[in-house]
Amino acid sequence: MSREEVFERLNEVFRDVFDDASITVNDGTTSDDIEDWDSLEHINLMAAVEFEFGVKFSMGQIVTMKNVGEMVDIILQKI
Amino acid sequence: MSITSFSFLCFFAVVLFFYYLIPQKTQWVYLLLISFVYFMTSSEVTEGGWYVALYPAAAVAAVYFAARLIDRTKEQRIKKAALVCAVLFCIGLLCTLKFFRLPLPAPMGISFYTLTLLGYLFDVYYEIGTVQKNYGKLLLFGCYFPTMISGPILKYKEMEGQLFLGHKLDYRRITFGMQRMLWGFFKKLVIAERAALIANEVFDHYENYAGFEIWVGAVAFTFQLYTDFGGCMDIVLGLSECFGIDLPENFNAPFLSRSISEYWRRWHISLGNWLREYLFYPLLRTRFFMELPKKLKPRLGKKRAKQLTTFLAMFLLWFAIGYWHGGTLNFIIGSGLLHWFYIVSGELMEPWFSKWKAALHIGRDNRAFVLFQRLRTFFLVTLGLVFFRNAAVPDALAMLRRGFLKCNPGILVDGTLFGLGLDWIEFTILVVSLLILCCVSLLEQKESVRSRLERSGLLLRWIVLYALIFYVILLGQYGPGYSASEFIYQKFRV
Repeated sequence: MSREEVFERLNEVFRDVFDDASITVNDGTTSDDIEDWDSLEHINLMAAVEFEFGVKFSMGQIVTMKNVGEMVDIILQKI
Repeated sequence: MSITSFSFLCFFAVVLFFYYLIPQKTQWVYLLLISFVYFMTSSEVTEGGWYVALYPAAAVAAVYFAARLIDRTKEQRIKKAALVCAVLFCIGLLCTLKFFRLPLPAPMGISFYTLTLLGYLFDVYYEIGTVQKNYGKLLLFGCYFPTMISGPILKYKEMEGQLFLGHKLDYRRITFGMQRMLWGFFKKLVIAERAALIANEVFDHYENYAGFEIWVGAVAFTFQLYTDFGGCMDIVLGLSECFGIDLPENFNAPFLSRSISEYWRRWHISLGNWLREYLFYPLLRTRFFMELPKKLKPRLGKKRAKQLTTFLAMFLLWFAIGYWHGGTLNFIIGSGLLHWFYIVSGELMEPWFSKWKAALHIGRDNRAFVLFQRLRTFFLVTLGLVFFRNAAVPDALAMLRRGFLKCNPGILVDGTLFGLGLDWIEFTILVVSLLILCCVSLLEQKESVRSRLERSGLLLRWIVLYALIFYVILLGQYGPGYSASEFIYQKFRV
Protein backbone atom coordinates (compact mmCIF):
# COMPACT_ATOMS: atom_id res chain seq x y z
CA MET A 1 0.00 0.00 0.00
CA SER A 2 1.38 3.43 -0.88
CA ARG A 3 1.70 6.29 1.56
CA GLU A 4 -1.01 8.19 -0.30
CA GLU A 5 -3.44 5.30 0.03
CA VAL A 6 -2.75 5.11 3.75
CA PHE A 7 -3.50 8.80 4.06
CA GLU A 8 -6.71 8.45 2.10
CA ARG A 9 -7.98 5.69 4.35
CA LEU A 10 -6.77 7.57 7.44
CA ASN A 11 -8.80 10.62 6.42
CA GLU A 12 -11.92 8.48 6.45
CA VAL A 13 -11.07 7.11 9.91
CA PHE A 14 -10.43 10.60 11.31
CA ARG A 15 -13.66 11.95 9.80
CA ASP A 16 -15.59 9.10 11.30
CA VAL A 17 -14.00 9.28 14.78
CA PHE A 18 -14.23 13.04 15.14
CA ASP A 19 -17.57 13.38 13.31
CA ASP A 20 -16.20 16.03 10.99
CA ALA A 21 -16.29 15.54 7.23
CA SER A 22 -13.92 18.42 6.57
CA ILE A 23 -10.85 16.82 8.20
CA THR A 24 -7.86 16.14 5.96
CA VAL A 25 -4.69 14.97 7.67
CA ASN A 26 -1.09 15.23 6.50
CA ASP A 27 2.35 14.31 7.85
CA GLY A 28 2.48 17.25 10.22
CA THR A 29 -1.05 16.98 11.68
CA THR A 30 -1.00 16.76 15.49
CA SER A 31 -3.60 16.70 18.23
CA ASP A 32 -3.38 20.50 18.37
CA ASP A 33 -4.90 20.75 14.90
CA ILE A 34 -8.10 18.87 15.67
CA GLU A 35 -10.22 20.28 18.42
CA ASP A 36 -11.67 17.09 19.86
CA TRP A 37 -8.41 15.17 19.75
CA ASP A 38 -7.71 14.86 23.45
CA SER A 39 -5.90 12.07 25.24
CA LEU A 40 -9.05 10.02 25.61
CA GLU A 41 -10.12 10.40 21.99
CA HIS A 42 -6.58 9.40 21.07
CA ILE A 43 -7.20 5.93 22.45
CA ASN A 44 -10.46 5.67 20.48
CA LEU A 45 -8.69 6.87 17.36
CA MET A 46 -5.98 4.25 17.78
CA ALA A 47 -8.60 1.53 18.06
CA ALA A 48 -10.30 2.75 14.89
CA VAL A 49 -7.01 2.94 12.97
CA GLU A 50 -6.05 -0.55 14.12
CA PHE A 51 -9.41 -1.88 12.96
CA GLU A 52 -9.17 -0.16 9.57
CA PHE A 53 -5.66 -1.45 8.76
CA GLY A 54 -5.76 -4.70 10.70
CA VAL A 55 -2.66 -3.75 12.70
CA LYS A 56 -1.92 -3.55 16.41
CA PHE A 57 0.01 -0.72 18.02
CA SER A 58 2.01 -1.22 21.19
CA MET A 59 1.22 0.94 24.22
CA GLY A 60 4.64 2.55 23.79
CA GLN A 61 3.85 3.58 20.22
CA ILE A 62 0.49 4.96 21.27
CA VAL A 63 1.89 7.30 23.89
CA THR A 64 4.95 8.42 21.94
CA MET A 65 3.44 9.05 18.47
CA LYS A 66 4.03 12.71 17.77
CA ASN A 67 2.07 13.33 14.57
CA VAL A 68 0.12 11.62 11.82
CA GLY A 69 3.32 11.18 9.79
CA GLU A 70 4.74 8.91 12.49
CA MET A 71 1.46 7.05 12.66
CA VAL A 72 1.66 6.38 8.90
CA ASP A 73 5.28 5.20 9.24
CA ILE A 74 4.26 2.69 11.86
CA ILE A 75 1.26 1.49 9.81
CA LEU A 76 3.44 1.02 6.73
CA GLN A 77 5.93 -0.98 8.77
CA LYS A 78 3.24 -3.28 10.05
CA ILE A 79 1.17 -4.07 6.96
CA MET B 1 12.95 13.52 61.20
CA SER B 2 10.28 15.93 59.98
CA ILE B 3 11.40 18.18 57.14
CA THR B 4 10.06 21.21 58.96
CA SER B 5 12.15 20.48 62.04
CA PHE B 6 15.30 22.36 62.96
CA SER B 7 17.31 19.16 63.09
CA PHE B 8 16.35 18.39 59.50
CA LEU B 9 17.49 21.82 58.34
CA CYS B 10 20.87 21.26 60.03
CA PHE B 11 21.10 17.79 58.45
CA PHE B 12 20.28 19.31 55.06
CA ALA B 13 22.88 22.07 55.41
CA VAL B 14 25.65 19.58 56.21
CA VAL B 15 24.57 17.22 53.43
CA LEU B 16 24.49 20.05 50.88
CA PHE B 17 27.91 21.34 51.92
CA PHE B 18 29.64 18.01 51.33
CA TYR B 19 27.60 17.30 48.19
CA TYR B 20 29.46 20.00 46.30
CA LEU B 21 32.86 19.15 47.81
CA ILE B 22 33.05 15.55 46.66
CA PRO B 23 33.89 14.51 43.05
CA GLN B 24 30.87 14.83 40.78
CA LYS B 25 31.07 11.19 39.74
CA THR B 26 30.41 10.07 43.31
CA GLN B 27 27.52 12.43 43.99
CA TRP B 28 24.87 9.83 43.17
CA VAL B 29 26.44 7.32 45.57
CA TYR B 30 26.48 10.03 48.21
CA LEU B 31 22.78 10.77 47.59
CA LEU B 32 22.00 7.08 47.88
CA LEU B 33 23.87 6.92 51.17
CA ILE B 34 22.07 10.00 52.51
CA SER B 35 18.74 8.58 51.37
CA PHE B 36 19.55 5.43 53.32
CA VAL B 37 20.51 7.41 56.44
CA TYR B 38 17.34 9.46 56.15
CA PHE B 39 15.27 6.33 55.70
CA MET B 40 16.86 4.60 58.68
CA THR B 41 16.10 7.56 60.96
CA SER B 42 12.41 7.63 59.99
CA SER B 43 9.98 6.73 62.73
CA GLU B 44 8.81 3.73 60.68
CA VAL B 45 12.25 2.18 61.02
CA THR B 46 13.13 3.33 64.53
CA GLU B 47 9.80 2.06 65.84
CA GLY B 48 9.23 -0.82 63.43
CA GLY B 49 12.71 -2.30 63.23
CA TRP B 50 15.58 -2.22 60.75
CA TYR B 51 14.01 -4.89 58.59
CA VAL B 52 11.53 -2.29 57.27
CA ALA B 53 14.38 -1.19 54.99
CA LEU B 54 14.14 -4.54 53.26
CA TYR B 55 10.76 -3.67 51.73
CA PRO B 56 11.95 -0.93 49.37
CA ALA B 57 15.14 -2.90 48.67
CA ALA B 58 13.04 -5.93 47.70
CA ALA B 59 10.64 -3.90 45.54
CA VAL B 60 13.58 -2.34 43.69
CA ALA B 61 15.17 -5.78 43.26
CA ALA B 62 11.96 -7.24 41.81
CA VAL B 63 11.61 -4.37 39.35
CA TYR B 64 15.32 -4.44 38.54
CA PHE B 65 15.42 -8.12 37.60
CA ALA B 66 12.09 -8.01 35.75
CA ALA B 67 13.24 -5.02 33.68
CA ARG B 68 16.53 -6.69 32.80
CA LEU B 69 14.78 -9.87 31.79
CA ILE B 70 12.24 -7.98 29.67
CA ASP B 71 15.12 -6.18 27.99
CA ARG B 72 17.14 -9.30 27.23
CA THR B 73 14.53 -11.81 26.10
CA LYS B 74 12.79 -11.72 22.73
CA GLU B 75 9.94 -13.94 23.85
CA GLN B 76 6.79 -11.90 24.40
CA ARG B 77 5.51 -14.57 26.78
CA ILE B 78 8.49 -14.26 29.09
CA LYS B 79 8.35 -10.47 28.99
CA LYS B 80 4.75 -10.55 30.05
CA ALA B 81 5.38 -13.09 32.80
CA ALA B 82 8.23 -11.00 34.22
CA LEU B 83 6.07 -7.88 34.15
CA VAL B 84 3.12 -9.58 35.82
CA CYS B 85 5.27 -11.16 38.55
CA ALA B 86 7.02 -7.90 39.46
CA VAL B 87 3.78 -5.89 39.40
CA LEU B 88 1.98 -8.44 41.57
CA PHE B 89 4.90 -8.52 43.98
CA CYS B 90 5.06 -4.72 44.38
CA ILE B 91 1.31 -4.17 44.51
CA GLY B 92 1.02 -7.14 46.86
CA LEU B 93 3.55 -5.60 49.24
CA LEU B 94 1.82 -2.23 49.04
CA CYS B 95 -1.62 -3.66 49.75
CA THR B 96 -0.43 -5.99 52.50
CA LEU B 97 1.43 -3.27 54.34
CA LYS B 98 -0.84 -0.33 53.67
CA PHE B 99 -4.38 -1.38 53.10
CA PHE B 100 -5.05 -4.71 54.76
CA ARG B 101 -4.51 -3.20 58.19
CA LEU B 102 -2.17 -5.89 59.38
CA PRO B 103 -0.05 -5.12 62.43
CA LEU B 104 3.04 -4.67 60.24
CA PRO B 105 4.92 -1.40 59.96
CA ALA B 106 4.98 -0.01 56.41
CA PRO B 107 8.09 1.84 55.24
CA MET B 108 7.86 5.54 54.57
CA GLY B 109 6.88 6.56 51.06
CA ILE B 110 5.74 3.09 50.04
CA SER B 111 2.81 4.27 47.89
CA PHE B 112 5.06 6.75 46.13
CA TYR B 113 8.08 4.61 45.41
CA THR B 114 5.92 1.65 44.36
CA LEU B 115 4.31 3.72 41.61
CA THR B 116 7.61 5.33 40.62
CA LEU B 117 9.22 1.90 40.20
CA LEU B 118 6.27 0.36 38.37
CA GLY B 119 6.16 3.31 35.95
CA TYR B 120 9.79 2.58 35.09
CA LEU B 121 9.02 -1.10 34.56
CA PHE B 122 6.02 -0.38 32.30
CA ASP B 123 8.14 1.97 30.20
CA VAL B 124 10.72 -0.76 29.71
CA TYR B 125 7.95 -3.23 28.83
CA TYR B 126 6.37 -0.80 26.34
CA GLU B 127 9.82 -0.23 24.86
CA ILE B 128 9.79 3.51 25.46
CA GLY B 129 12.25 3.53 28.33
CA THR B 130 15.86 2.52 28.75
CA VAL B 131 16.99 -0.13 31.22
CA GLN B 132 19.09 0.71 34.25
CA LYS B 133 21.74 -1.97 34.64
CA ASN B 134 23.08 -0.76 37.98
CA TYR B 135 21.00 -1.88 40.96
CA GLY B 136 22.32 0.97 43.12
CA LYS B 137 21.22 3.57 40.60
CA LEU B 138 17.75 2.09 40.38
CA LEU B 139 17.62 2.05 44.17
CA LEU B 140 18.42 5.75 44.21
CA PHE B 141 15.75 6.41 41.58
CA GLY B 142 13.17 4.61 43.75
CA CYS B 143 14.29 5.91 47.12
CA TYR B 144 15.75 9.39 46.49
CA PHE B 145 15.12 10.87 49.92
CA PRO B 146 13.20 14.09 49.15
CA THR B 147 10.57 12.07 47.28
CA MET B 148 10.22 9.50 50.06
CA ILE B 149 8.24 11.96 52.17
CA SER B 150 5.22 12.34 49.92
CA GLY B 151 6.22 12.14 46.29
CA PRO B 152 6.15 13.38 43.60
CA ILE B 153 5.98 10.16 41.62
CA LEU B 154 8.95 10.20 39.25
CA LYS B 155 9.38 9.30 35.61
CA TYR B 156 12.62 7.53 34.85
CA LYS B 157 13.08 9.32 31.53
CA GLU B 158 13.06 12.70 33.26
CA MET B 159 15.35 11.63 36.08
CA GLU B 160 18.15 9.49 34.61
CA GLY B 161 19.98 12.46 33.14
CA GLN B 162 19.82 14.29 36.44
CA LEU B 163 20.18 11.76 39.23
CA PHE B 164 23.30 9.98 38.04
CA LEU B 165 25.25 12.79 36.42
CA GLY B 166 27.28 15.10 38.60
CA HIS B 167 26.24 18.65 39.35
CA LYS B 168 28.42 21.70 39.64
CA LEU B 169 27.78 24.22 42.36
CA ASP B 170 25.28 26.67 40.88
CA TYR B 171 24.58 29.65 43.07
CA ARG B 172 21.38 30.58 41.22
CA ARG B 173 19.84 27.14 41.55
CA ILE B 174 20.65 26.95 45.23
CA THR B 175 19.09 30.35 45.93
CA PHE B 176 16.06 29.38 43.86
CA GLY B 177 15.79 26.11 45.74
CA MET B 178 16.00 27.79 49.11
CA GLN B 179 13.45 30.42 48.14
CA ARG B 180 11.12 27.65 47.12
CA MET B 181 11.67 25.90 50.46
CA LEU B 182 10.92 29.13 52.29
CA TRP B 183 7.66 29.44 50.37
CA GLY B 184 6.83 25.88 51.38
CA PHE B 185 7.49 26.68 55.04
CA PHE B 186 5.18 29.66 54.70
CA LYS B 187 2.39 27.47 53.35
CA LYS B 188 2.91 24.71 55.88
CA LEU B 189 3.80 26.54 59.08
CA VAL B 190 1.86 29.77 58.73
CA ILE B 191 -1.27 28.67 56.87
CA ALA B 192 -1.75 24.91 57.20
CA GLU B 193 -1.00 24.75 60.92
CA ARG B 194 -3.46 27.55 61.62
CA ALA B 195 -6.19 26.27 59.33
CA ALA B 196 -5.74 22.89 61.05
CA LEU B 197 -6.89 24.31 64.37
CA ILE B 198 -10.23 25.42 62.91
CA ALA B 199 -10.64 22.23 60.91
CA ASN B 200 -9.82 20.02 63.91
CA GLU B 201 -12.25 21.86 66.13
CA VAL B 202 -15.15 21.70 63.69
CA PHE B 203 -14.55 18.17 62.36
CA ASP B 204 -13.90 16.66 65.78
CA HIS B 205 -16.98 18.24 67.35
CA TYR B 206 -19.27 18.71 64.38
CA GLU B 207 -22.28 17.83 66.51
CA ASN B 208 -21.79 21.16 68.30
CA TYR B 209 -21.90 23.18 65.08
CA ALA B 210 -24.35 23.91 62.31
CA GLY B 211 -24.77 25.87 59.08
CA PHE B 212 -21.95 28.21 58.21
CA GLU B 213 -19.82 27.02 61.11
CA ILE B 214 -19.62 23.64 59.41
CA TRP B 215 -18.72 25.27 56.09
CA VAL B 216 -16.02 27.41 57.66
CA GLY B 217 -14.51 24.25 59.13
CA ALA B 218 -14.78 22.41 55.83
CA VAL B 219 -13.19 25.27 53.88
CA ALA B 220 -10.45 25.50 56.51
CA PHE B 221 -9.67 21.83 55.94
CA THR B 222 -9.54 22.31 52.16
CA PHE B 223 -6.99 25.09 52.62
CA GLN B 224 -5.16 23.07 55.23
CA LEU B 225 -4.80 20.06 52.97
CA TYR B 226 -3.72 22.14 49.99
CA THR B 227 -1.15 24.23 51.88
CA ASP B 228 0.05 21.20 53.80
CA PHE B 229 0.59 18.96 50.78
CA GLY B 230 1.47 21.83 48.43
CA GLY B 231 3.86 23.31 51.01
CA CYS B 232 5.50 19.94 51.48
CA MET B 233 5.98 19.71 47.71
CA ASP B 234 7.55 23.18 47.62
CA ILE B 235 10.02 22.14 50.30
CA VAL B 236 10.78 18.84 48.57
CA LEU B 237 11.21 20.39 45.11
CA GLY B 238 13.28 23.21 46.61
CA LEU B 239 15.51 20.74 48.48
CA SER B 240 16.09 18.79 45.33
CA GLU B 241 16.74 21.94 43.31
CA CYS B 242 19.60 22.71 45.71
CA PHE B 243 21.17 19.41 44.63
CA GLY B 244 20.70 20.45 41.01
CA ILE B 245 17.92 17.93 40.44
CA ASP B 246 14.54 19.10 39.13
CA LEU B 247 11.58 17.03 40.25
CA PRO B 248 8.23 17.12 38.43
CA GLU B 249 5.65 19.63 39.67
CA ASN B 250 2.74 18.19 41.62
CA PHE B 251 0.54 21.29 41.82
CA ASN B 252 -0.44 24.09 39.53
CA ALA B 253 -2.81 26.38 41.46
CA PRO B 254 -5.59 23.75 41.62
CA PHE B 255 -8.18 26.17 42.94
CA LEU B 256 -8.04 28.25 39.78
CA SER B 257 -9.59 25.25 38.01
CA ARG B 258 -12.86 25.88 36.22
CA SER B 259 -13.96 22.27 36.24
CA ILE B 260 -13.31 19.08 38.17
CA SER B 261 -11.42 17.55 35.26
CA GLU B 262 -9.19 20.60 35.15
CA TYR B 263 -8.73 20.31 38.92
CA TRP B 264 -7.33 16.81 38.46
CA ARG B 265 -4.84 18.14 35.95
CA ARG B 266 -3.64 20.68 38.52
CA TRP B 267 -3.83 18.73 41.80
CA HIS B 268 -1.40 15.89 42.53
CA ILE B 269 -0.35 16.00 38.89
CA SER B 270 2.21 13.21 39.06
CA LEU B 271 -0.40 10.79 40.43
CA GLY B 272 -2.94 11.81 37.76
CA ASN B 273 -0.38 11.32 34.99
CA TRP B 274 0.69 7.98 36.35
CA LEU B 275 -2.81 6.59 36.62
CA ARG B 276 -3.80 7.90 33.20
CA GLU B 277 -0.78 6.46 31.47
CA TYR B 278 -0.38 3.16 33.28
CA LEU B 279 -3.91 2.31 34.36
CA PHE B 280 -6.51 4.19 32.34
CA TYR B 281 -5.08 3.85 28.82
CA PRO B 282 -4.14 0.19 29.14
CA LEU B 283 -7.60 -0.43 30.60
CA LEU B 284 -9.25 1.18 27.57
CA ARG B 285 -7.07 -1.00 25.36
CA THR B 286 -8.25 -4.27 26.89
CA ARG B 287 -10.48 -6.42 24.74
CA PHE B 288 -13.47 -5.82 27.01
CA PHE B 289 -13.32 -2.06 26.67
CA MET B 290 -12.51 -2.21 22.95
CA GLU B 291 -15.52 -4.43 22.23
CA LEU B 292 -17.97 -2.68 24.50
CA PRO B 293 -18.74 0.36 22.28
CA LYS B 294 -19.40 -1.97 19.33
CA LYS B 295 -21.83 -4.01 21.40
CA LEU B 296 -23.61 -0.95 22.75
CA LYS B 297 -23.72 0.93 19.45
CA PRO B 298 -26.90 -0.64 17.98
CA ARG B 299 -28.85 0.19 21.11
CA LEU B 300 -27.41 3.57 22.14
CA GLY B 301 -25.92 5.06 19.00
CA LYS B 302 -22.24 5.68 18.40
CA LYS B 303 -21.74 8.70 20.61
CA ARG B 304 -23.51 7.38 23.69
CA ALA B 305 -21.88 3.96 23.35
CA LYS B 306 -18.45 5.55 23.38
CA GLN B 307 -19.40 7.81 26.26
CA LEU B 308 -20.73 4.99 28.39
CA THR B 309 -17.57 2.94 27.85
CA THR B 310 -15.42 5.87 28.91
CA PHE B 311 -17.54 6.45 32.00
CA LEU B 312 -17.17 2.84 33.02
CA ALA B 313 -13.37 2.96 32.63
CA MET B 314 -13.33 6.25 34.55
CA PHE B 315 -15.28 4.60 37.35
CA LEU B 316 -12.48 2.08 37.79
CA LEU B 317 -9.88 4.85 37.59
CA TRP B 318 -11.52 6.95 40.27
CA PHE B 319 -12.12 3.94 42.42
CA ALA B 320 -8.37 3.29 42.25
CA ILE B 321 -7.56 6.90 43.16
CA GLY B 322 -9.88 6.74 46.14
CA TYR B 323 -8.64 3.34 47.26
CA TRP B 324 -5.03 4.44 47.05
CA HIS B 325 -5.73 7.36 49.36
CA GLY B 326 -6.57 5.08 52.24
CA GLY B 327 -8.48 1.96 51.35
CA THR B 328 -11.61 2.82 53.33
CA LEU B 329 -14.99 3.93 52.04
CA ASN B 330 -14.63 7.56 53.10
CA PHE B 331 -11.53 7.91 50.88
CA ILE B 332 -13.04 5.89 48.05
CA ILE B 333 -16.00 8.28 48.01
CA GLY B 334 -14.33 11.55 48.98
CA SER B 335 -11.36 11.53 46.68
CA GLY B 336 -12.64 9.00 44.19
CA LEU B 337 -16.18 8.16 43.24
CA LEU B 338 -17.67 11.53 44.13
CA HIS B 339 -15.27 13.13 41.65
CA TRP B 340 -16.25 10.53 39.07
CA PHE B 341 -19.88 11.47 39.64
CA TYR B 342 -19.07 15.18 39.18
CA ILE B 343 -17.29 14.59 35.89
CA VAL B 344 -19.88 12.20 34.50
CA SER B 345 -22.84 14.38 35.45
CA GLY B 346 -21.01 17.43 34.09
CA GLU B 347 -20.53 15.72 30.74
CA LEU B 348 -24.09 14.46 30.59
CA MET B 349 -25.51 17.88 31.36
CA GLU B 350 -23.15 19.70 29.02
CA PRO B 351 -25.72 20.21 26.20
CA TRP B 352 -28.12 21.66 28.74
CA PHE B 353 -25.42 23.99 30.16
CA SER B 354 -24.52 25.16 26.66
CA LYS B 355 -28.14 26.03 25.96
CA TRP B 356 -28.35 28.09 29.15
CA LYS B 357 -25.09 29.87 28.44
CA ALA B 358 -26.27 30.77 24.95
CA ALA B 359 -29.64 31.95 26.24
CA LEU B 360 -28.02 34.14 28.88
CA HIS B 361 -25.36 35.38 26.44
CA ILE B 362 -22.51 34.23 28.68
CA GLY B 363 -19.20 34.14 26.83
CA ARG B 364 -16.62 31.46 27.65
CA ASP B 365 -14.27 33.96 29.21
CA ASN B 366 -16.79 36.17 30.94
CA ARG B 367 -15.04 37.11 34.18
CA ALA B 368 -18.01 36.65 36.46
CA PHE B 369 -18.69 33.28 34.87
CA VAL B 370 -15.07 32.16 35.32
CA LEU B 371 -15.24 33.17 38.98
CA PHE B 372 -18.50 31.24 39.35
CA GLN B 373 -16.88 28.16 37.81
CA ARG B 374 -13.88 28.40 40.11
CA LEU B 375 -16.01 28.77 43.21
CA ARG B 376 -18.17 25.87 42.10
CA THR B 377 -15.10 23.65 41.66
CA PHE B 378 -13.83 24.71 45.08
CA PHE B 379 -17.17 23.87 46.68
CA LEU B 380 -17.40 20.46 45.01
CA VAL B 381 -13.86 19.59 46.08
CA THR B 382 -14.60 20.74 49.62
CA LEU B 383 -17.66 18.47 49.75
CA GLY B 384 -15.43 15.53 48.84
CA LEU B 385 -12.89 16.49 51.48
CA VAL B 386 -15.58 16.33 54.15
CA PHE B 387 -15.63 12.59 53.46
CA PHE B 388 -11.84 12.51 53.27
CA ARG B 389 -11.35 14.15 56.67
CA ASN B 390 -14.06 12.33 58.61
CA ALA B 391 -13.36 8.94 60.12
CA ALA B 392 -16.29 7.27 58.41
CA VAL B 393 -19.01 7.93 55.86
CA PRO B 394 -21.90 8.26 58.37
CA ASP B 395 -19.95 11.03 60.16
CA ALA B 396 -19.42 12.87 56.89
CA LEU B 397 -23.10 12.59 56.00
CA ALA B 398 -24.21 13.74 59.45
CA MET B 399 -21.82 16.68 59.28
CA LEU B 400 -23.01 17.69 55.82
CA ARG B 401 -26.62 17.45 56.97
CA ARG B 402 -25.87 19.84 59.81
CA GLY B 403 -24.23 22.14 57.30
CA PHE B 404 -27.26 22.23 55.03
CA LEU B 405 -29.92 22.35 57.74
CA LYS B 406 -29.22 25.78 59.11
CA CYS B 407 -28.65 29.08 57.34
CA ASN B 408 -26.79 31.40 59.71
CA PRO B 409 -24.59 33.72 57.65
CA GLY B 410 -24.65 36.03 60.66
CA ILE B 411 -21.89 34.01 62.33
CA LEU B 412 -19.47 35.27 59.71
CA VAL B 413 -19.65 38.78 61.14
CA ASP B 414 -20.76 38.48 64.78
CA GLY B 415 -17.49 37.15 66.18
CA THR B 416 -18.49 33.47 66.37
CA LEU B 417 -15.64 32.71 63.96
CA PHE B 418 -13.10 33.60 66.61
CA GLY B 419 -14.37 30.80 68.83
CA LEU B 420 -13.49 28.07 66.33
CA GLY B 421 -9.98 27.44 67.56
CA LEU B 422 -8.33 30.73 66.55
CA ASP B 423 -8.72 34.11 68.26
CA TRP B 424 -9.17 37.23 66.15
CA ILE B 425 -5.45 37.97 65.80
CA GLU B 426 -4.65 34.44 64.68
CA PHE B 427 -7.67 34.41 62.40
CA THR B 428 -6.58 37.67 60.77
CA ILE B 429 -3.08 36.30 60.22
CA LEU B 430 -4.62 33.27 58.53
CA VAL B 431 -6.81 35.36 56.23
CA VAL B 432 -3.98 37.76 55.30
CA SER B 433 -1.65 34.83 54.60
CA LEU B 434 -4.28 33.20 52.41
CA LEU B 435 -4.62 36.45 50.47
CA ILE B 436 -0.85 36.57 49.96
CA LEU B 437 -0.94 32.96 48.76
CA CYS B 438 -3.80 33.78 46.40
CA CYS B 439 -2.00 36.80 44.89
CA VAL B 440 1.25 34.89 44.41
CA SER B 441 -0.63 31.97 42.80
CA LEU B 442 -2.25 34.38 40.33
CA LEU B 443 1.10 36.05 39.58
CA GLU B 444 2.73 32.65 39.16
CA GLN B 445 0.27 31.80 36.35
CA LYS B 446 1.96 34.38 34.15
CA GLU B 447 5.58 34.03 35.16
CA SER B 448 7.66 32.44 37.91
CA VAL B 449 7.70 34.78 40.88
CA ARG B 450 11.28 33.82 41.66
CA SER B 451 12.41 34.94 38.19
CA ARG B 452 10.57 38.21 38.66
CA LEU B 453 12.29 38.70 41.99
CA GLU B 454 15.63 37.96 40.39
CA ARG B 455 15.10 40.72 37.85
CA SER B 456 13.89 43.24 40.40
CA GLY B 457 16.37 45.46 42.18
CA LEU B 458 18.60 44.09 44.91
CA LEU B 459 16.90 46.17 47.58
CA LEU B 460 13.38 45.04 46.73
CA ARG B 461 14.52 41.43 46.49
CA TRP B 462 16.08 41.43 49.92
CA ILE B 463 13.15 43.25 51.46
CA VAL B 464 10.73 40.66 50.09
CA LEU B 465 12.88 37.70 51.14
CA TYR B 466 13.65 38.99 54.61
CA ALA B 467 10.02 39.94 55.13
CA LEU B 468 9.00 36.40 54.23
CA ILE B 469 11.69 34.85 56.43
CA PHE B 470 10.60 36.87 59.44
CA TYR B 471 6.97 36.31 58.63
CA VAL B 472 7.56 32.56 58.75
CA ILE B 473 9.80 32.66 61.81
CA LEU B 474 7.51 34.92 63.80
CA LEU B 475 4.16 33.61 62.66
CA GLY B 476 4.97 29.98 61.88
CA GLN B 477 3.29 27.56 64.25
CA TYR B 478 5.87 25.18 65.57
CA GLY B 479 5.72 25.65 69.32
CA PRO B 480 4.28 23.20 71.81
CA GLY B 481 0.63 22.46 71.34
CA TYR B 482 0.91 22.50 67.58
CA SER B 483 1.61 19.42 65.56
CA ALA B 484 3.97 20.54 62.86
CA SER B 485 5.64 17.20 62.99
CA GLU B 486 3.81 15.48 60.18
CA PHE B 487 2.30 16.23 56.83
CA ILE B 488 -1.20 14.99 56.18
CA TYR B 489 -0.21 13.24 52.97
CA GLN B 490 2.75 11.72 54.69
CA LYS B 491 0.41 10.08 57.12
CA PHE B 492 -1.85 8.77 54.38
CA ARG B 493 1.20 7.83 52.34
CA VAL B 494 -0.73 8.91 49.34
